[in-house]
Amino acid sequence: MLNKLLFKNQDKKQLIIAIIGAFMGITFLITSIHYLIRVNEFGEGADILGPNTIIVQKKVSNSSTLGFARTDFSKNEIEKIKSKPFIHDVKPVIANNFDVSFETADPLVPRFRSDVFIQTVDPEFLDVDLTNWDWKEGNDFVPMIMPRDFLVMLNTFMSASGIPQISDDLAMDIKFKFTLSNNSDSEKEWVDARIVGFTNEVASILVPETFMTYGNNKFSDGTEQKITQVMISGEESEFGLVEEMLEKRGLETKNSQMVVGRLKSMVGTLFLVVLGISVIAVFVSGLVLIQYMQLLMTRNSYEVRTLMRMGHHPKKIIRMFFLYFVKIFGIVAGLGLILFFIFKFFLDSMFANGGLYIGTNVTIGSISALLIAYGLFAFASYRTATKGIFNEY
Amino acid sequence: MPKPLASIQHGEKSIWGNEIELNSGKKILLNASSGKGKSTFATTVFGLRNDYEGTITYDNVDIKTLSVDDWTEIRKSKISVVFQDLQLFPKLSVKENLLLKNSLTDTFTEQELLERLELLEIENKWEQKCGLLSMGQQQRVAIIRALAQPFKWLVMDEPFSHLDEENTQRCLKMIDKRATEISAGFVLTTLGDDHSFNFDQELNL
Repeated sequence: MLNKLLFKNQDKKQLIIAIIGAFMGITFLITSIHYLIRVNEFGEGADILGPNTIIVQKKVSNSSTLGFARTDFSKNEIEKIKSKPFIHDVKPVIANNFDVSFETADPLVPRFRSDVFIQTVDPEFLDVDLTNWDWKEGNDFVPMIMPRDFLVMLNTFMSASGIPQISDDLAMDIKFKFTLSNNSDSEKEWVDARIVGFTNEVASILVPETFMTYGNNKFSDGTEQKITQVMISGEESEFGLVEEMLEKRGLETKNSQMVVGRLKSMVGTLFLVVLGISVIAVFVSGLVLIQYMQLLMTRNSYEVRTLMRMGHHPKKIIRMFFLYFVKIFGIVAGLGLILFFIFKFFLDSMFANGGLYIGTNVTIGSISALLIAYGLFAFASYRTATKGIFNEY
Repeated sequence: MPKPLASIQHGEKSIWGNEIELNSGKKILLNASSGKGKSTFATTVFGLRNDYEGTITYDNVDIKTLSVDDWTEIRKSKISVVFQDLQLFPKLSVKENLLLKNSLTDTFTEQELLERLELLEIENKWEQKCGLLSMGQQQRVAIIRALAQPFKWLVMDEPFSHLDEENTQRCLKMIDKRATEISAGFVLTTLGDDHSFNFDQELNL
């Protein structure tokens, strides 16, 4: 009866407009947050390098070949790159300043030996368990991260030797050995090694910094260590700026790294724009709903006043208005969520067809955004209802 | 003394400017001509306005100090009112208007409400919207609504102004019977007519 008295015979035009606005806003809010998170996550875990991380070096030109231009980075240059707002961090990639050869040391695998180039990077840039990424003198083996191309080469060699090819997991069980020596070959040392991961982005074998320091201290001929590569991690969705900076400074990186970064930036920016519009839509439609509540209370001021004079508690009437609008927003949010799932079904297929295999689980962020929007609306509704009803008391 | 009435000349026996006590269970006539403050009296003792000087106490408590909870409880079960403008819900039926009040305390059954309508000869209006009733019919509905709660006092502001003598007597009889049943008192404001009822006390404005 109270519902009939307060909510029947109302002009629902404004309510319907607000509901449609809130419905669309909520749908795009959840969708944009979900895909913003998923797109930013894209590529994480696929490589041992952390997300949004690239290795850059200076472009080699004729003048650098002739020795007129430097190909190494000075400390000042590194600091300048680091100072850019879209750069999260910059660290030098340290290379070996001594001779290293690498060979298989497993009775199950034919002997394979090659002179190699090893590098070390700050563990912050690596997506590895840091407890396994350490070495000190006396340890059983040196953990190393291999270029995936090396495994391809090893498999080619195995195939040529008439031995079955090996998988990533199997390769991690094979025992390897480093031979460290100085330039004159007068000092030598053998250290066991094991693969702990693979990378597509680095062309050399990565080893822990402690091992590199040990080798450089013990076998280096004392020449100055030059930094020819640096590792850069950029801020989310700002890879366009990173790319622009590389171009300006005559730096280059592996194209695949930039393509992914560029793609993430573009799609991320697109969803960011949609997110901004959605937030405005949800805010405005929420505001219209609240305004409609005020209008409804004003139109019903006689009924509200009389009910209170009859002995109906103001809190009971507040609860009625509050629940009416919270239920409307709840239904809108529910419908928005359903439409999001429908969108998601199609968008996930579209991304997959385009070769972007992003996570398909619903993100906590998008659901949290929905709950926050709902919570804020519920709070605003309660405050408005309380104020409106007590104005009539 | 209500502030809007301060400029009007009131008689020596007027309740405005004097101290009066209304005792429980008494049937009181408040007799005054237009503009002397009958409605002001009804709305002030019901806590709807507090633009007055002096003190009004209910059960020895200054009514200005009563909280929202206190007033809700008082209006639900201690003081009932028939307003001069009746304050019915015109879009709701007679049944809905009565049940909306009765549901707060479940004072009567639906059958008992219908019996009261029958006594006032408007039982056929049970499902009709209040807005479609005549003023006299609406007054009778408002009186039954006011009775559909427990009360210690029933304040009625010119409740029979649109009723003929016969219906007035029926209403007054029903009100008196109910008040006596629950040992309650009432205050009836009129423009001078005592409706041939034997009141315990008469107040002037």
